[in-house]
Order: sequence, then C-alpha cells, then structure tokens
Amino acid sequence: MTAARVLAGGRMVPLLDRIAQKYRLTAPVKEDGVVLYRRVDGGREVCLDFGLPLVPPKAHFFPQTERLFSYNAADGLELKEPPGITASVLFGVRPCDLRGFAALDPVFGGRFADVYYQDKREHTTVVGLGCTAVRPECFCTAYGGSPVDEQGADLMLTRVGESYLAEILTPKGEQLVRRSAEFFPPEGAGEAERAKAALGRELEARFTRRVDLAGVKEKANTLFESSYWGKPAHRCLGCGICTYLCPTCHCFDIVDEDRGDRTGARWRCWDSCMFRDFTLHTSGHNPRGSKMERVRNRFLHKLSYHLDRYGLPGCVGCGRCIAACPVNIDITRVIAEIKEAG
Amino acid sequence: MSGERNPLLPYRATIREIIPETGDVKTFRITLDNPQAAAGWRHEPGQLAMLSVFGAGEAMFSISSAPTRRDFLEFSIKRMGKLTRALHEMEAGGRIGVRGPYGNHFPYEKFQGKSLLFVGGGIGMAPLRSLIDFVLAAENRPRYGRVEILYGARSYDDLCFKAQLLDGWHHKPDTVVYSTIDRAEARWTGHVGFVPAYLEQVAPRPENKCAVLCGPPVMIRFVLEALKKLGFADGQIYSTLELRMKCGVGKCGRCNIGAKFVCLDGPVFSMAEIGELPPEF
Repeated sequence: MTAARVLAGGRMVPLLDRIAQKYRLTAPVKEDGVVLYRRVDGGREVCLDFGLPLVPPKAHFFPQTERLFSYNAADGLELKEPPGITASVLFGVRPCDLRGFAALDPVFGGRFADVYYQDKREHTTVVGLGCTAVRPECFCTAYGGSPVDEQGADLMLTRVGESYLAEILTPKGEQLVRRSAEFFPPEGAGEAERAKAALGRELEARFTRRVDLAGVKEKANTLFESSYWGKPAHRCLGCGICTYLCPTCHCFDIVDEDRGDRTGARWRCWDSCMFRDFTLHTSGHNPRGSKMERVRNRFLHKLSYHLDRYGLPGCVGCGRCIAACPVNIDITRVIAEIKEAG
Repeated sequence: MSGERNPLLPYRATIREIIPETGDVKTFRITLDNPQAAAGWRHEPGQLAMLSVFGAGEAMFSISSAPTRRDFLEFSIKRMGKLTRALHEMEAGGRIGVRGPYGNHFPYEKFQGKSLLFVGGGIGMAPLRSLIDFVLAAENRPRYGRVEILYGARSYDDLCFKAQLLDGWHHKPDTVVYSTIDRAEARWTGHVGFVPAYLEQVAPRPENKCAVLCGPPVMIRFVLEALKKLGFADGQIYSTLELRMKCGVGKCGRCNIGAKFVCLDGPVFSMAEIGELPPEF
C-alpha cells in the first residue's frame, strides 16, 4: 500500500505536537551538540536538521539496558515482568537505520521470539525521514540502499523544497495520518514524488565512497585462517564503539542486580564481541581470546555470518563505525583489502 | 507484554534432592512448580537448560536425566564459577529458575539399529548419561545393539554416577561398562590409565556403530585419534560443544562458531560437522 500526501514544512512542529498527544513520541533531539533519539513531549524539542543520530534507533526496540523482570526470592519466589509499551511513534529514522531494523527483526523473531523487542516493534509506528545530505562515511548504496529509500517505514517523510512528501506505506502509517488528516492534503503529491526521485538521484551522485561488494562474502570466508586479520587487529583498541553504534549489532549480556535481600531485577545490557570476556569460559578457555580473533569475528559477522543465517546483510552502510573508531578502522577499506588479500 | 511465553522468563522450580557425586560435583534433582509447565516439559537426550539462582545469575547446563523420567529433571553440575558456587550452596527445598529445553539432541533416531559406544571423561558424563539412560530404558532398549560405556576420571572420588557406573548399567542387557581412573588407588580394583589408551586396549569395532564422546578437550583430542586408528569415520562420531551462553535462544550472540549458534544448532555435532566449522571453539 502506498499513498502519497504532502506536509507543509511549517506544519511539521504542530504535527509532532499532535503526534505527542496521541502517542509516546521518540525523536531526534540535540543534546550538547550531539543528536540522539529521546522521548519528547512536543515538536519544539525535536531536531529536524541533522545528519545521522549518534546512537542508532535500534535502542528504541532493544534498549541499551532493559529490565527483563524483577524477582523476589526472599519469601517464596515471585517473578514480575515489566509492562509493555503504549502506542508509540519513533520519528526521524534514516533509510539506513530502517534497513537496520530489517536486519534485527529475524534475530529477535523466529523461534523463541523475543517478547521485549516484539512488543515494542508491534506498538511502534516508524516515521522515516529521508536524507538531505550525504555524510563522508555514508555507503548505504553498496547494499542497494538509497538516501531516500522508504523501505521499512510505516510513514516516510522526505523533504522536497519547502514541504515534505509523505508516503503512507503500512496500516500503521495510515492510522497515524488518519489521526492528523488535516496536516496531510493530497494536493501536490505527484509533483513531490517526482521531486523525491530527483533528490534521490542527486544525492546518490554525491557519495564519495564507492564500495563494490561483489564476491566479498565468498572471499572473506576463504580468509578465515589468513594473516590479513592481524592488520586491522593490530590497530584495534578493543573499545567496542563500532558494535555499540552499529544498527545491526545485537549482542547482549544478562545480569542480576540484587538488592542484597534476595530481591532485585534481571537486566540485559548491550555487550560486544570486541570484549575479551565476551566468550571467556569459567574454565579459563577462551575461543576468541585474541584481538585478532575478535576483529575477524566482527567483520565476518557483518560480511558473511549474518547473510548465511538470515539472508540479509549484517551491515547497512550507515558508516557510524567508521566515524566513531578512535583508530580509523574503516570497514570499507577492510572490504577492499579482503578483495585483494592473497 | 504479549500473551506468548517469554523465552527469557524462567519457570519457577524447586530442588527436591541433592545427590553428591564427587568432591565438586552434585546432581540436582528438580521439579517445576507449575504443574502445567511440568506436564508440558519435553526434552531430548543431549538438550540443555538455563538454570537461575536469583541474584547470582543464570548459566546453561546439559540435562543429565533421560526424558524417559517424567517426574523430575536432573542436572549434574561441577562447582566452577559464580553461579555454580551459588547452586552448590543451596539445599533441598531451595527455589531456582529453569528455562528450556534448548539446542538439538543426540540423533537417537539415526542411532536405531546400531551399536553405541559412549566415551566420557570427568563431568563429561553428564550429557552422556541422559542418552545412556534413554537407550537403556526398557521401552527403547530393543531398538539399539550392544552398548559399550567407557568412562574415566582422575580418581575414584572424581567418578560421577558411581551407582550406575559400578553397579547399574552393566546389569542391563548387552551392556558393557569399562571404567578407569588416572592413578592407582588402594580401594580401586578396576583399570588404571587414561581414557584414550584404555579405549585402544578395549578396541571396540567400528562396524555399524556410533561413538558418542564428551569430556575435557585434551581427552577428546586423543580419543579422536584412538577412534581413527580403530577405523571409526568422522560421520560415526558425535560430541558436544560448549560455549559461553547468556540467552540460549540465538540472540545474545556469544556462542557463535561462524554462522552457527551452539545454543540453537548444537550442542551436538558429528565430527564431520565439526570439521566444517571454522576452528574457533
């Protein structure tokens, strides 16, 4: 289902006010110069002029720390799950991050579906926001993405001139528009759609990173025992920022926090395959005890394992890991080097 | 939350009995508190479950009782780290959490019509015991040929499941038990020596037989060499892989070997399958 409407640029803030009245709204906010997704109460708090928020919006469905349940083991044994979320809108998701959701859905779905993720996914309407600029780290086009790709959104907004093209893509998107119908006149939608197509072509021409993934997965698999991995591993500090900021990374730890009286809560927290303790056995044995093994695992997960397991790439080309790495490890360079490695 | 069963929420369970096996291994016999959950529990030999001691955390263990026992679950657990220490400090009547069963299982369907050789070392007997008791259960015994069990530990005190090992299994039809300890002791009249050497001496024939191994990595390595010498092919040999796990349901990411997750795709692999995995376990 696709229906197109137009949202006047000046009506964005009042629209977000309206959404915040009807939904729990999460949107990009500028805090100390950094753009992050935050709960907001109205449109004035929302940052509309941004490149890519620092932390991917996966945190909305898969929070960095999340209570799984609380327990009381002092007197009998009681386990209490947290309540689910109310109807929510996640606003301002870039096309690469929309693809990130697609990469995470099969991880948290399938057999043993994760009720925490599913509950938030089910009760959230995702409003995408097309890009208006290309960052130096961007390479979504390598994965067939585009700065104006609407795939994965319930409602996609794309800035064209003084207004936004609004593409209604799912029943959830349709419901959101119906609840604020006066903001979305159909007039001029055809023209806005043509403008979006032109914007897409213009932005795609501006990408500075041209990454060719042809044959990379197959080649990477042959390099498991190669000494190549020593090269990125030599520089890597093992800080894990690449995994924390990755829209497709899903590793987590589970820990109990006890108040000391046999009551407390069980939490899950983002974890990282870049950490030595991640795979450390109680016996002291560690299958990925060296940094080389951990670096290799991360890149092979992105370029090969996720594809094998779910039929989807484990990278969306957002470039956050490139921008954030303190020692300039660059996945696009790794891809190029894999192709050349002997 | 949605009405579906939350896979990360454990069932409440009660420790019914604690059977000391060795100085640092205890078998915990538990039952699920919710009668519906207990009635609905179905595991296969070789499968795993997550045990919780609330406040200490959670860890994955093999279920060491056979599915033919419907009235309880058993876990034979060596005291090693934080969670296992907390478990070892508990008493009968204590409340824990259980979730599972997880993972694949020993392919007992494929084993039908074949003889079976079990080779275990130390606490490695825990996952094997579930399959041994399953195969030796009266209702299943006719489906399998001869059963040979070779089990070794460092000392007499370190042998788990002594009652079954020394005076149980060998009373079953067409079942032979070989046990050994690493160094001679006055009270031990059985064989003395390492498992791989004893295996070569016993020299089981490979025809129409599957071998199932579990034990410390160094034992596995030499047992594999011995089996090869005896003519066993990789496809006839099964073992289990253990990796650190947090979720048990293929999401937390730490038990991957290449694209496989040991919690979902394992823990049981044939040596032929292990040979195709990246060497990272």
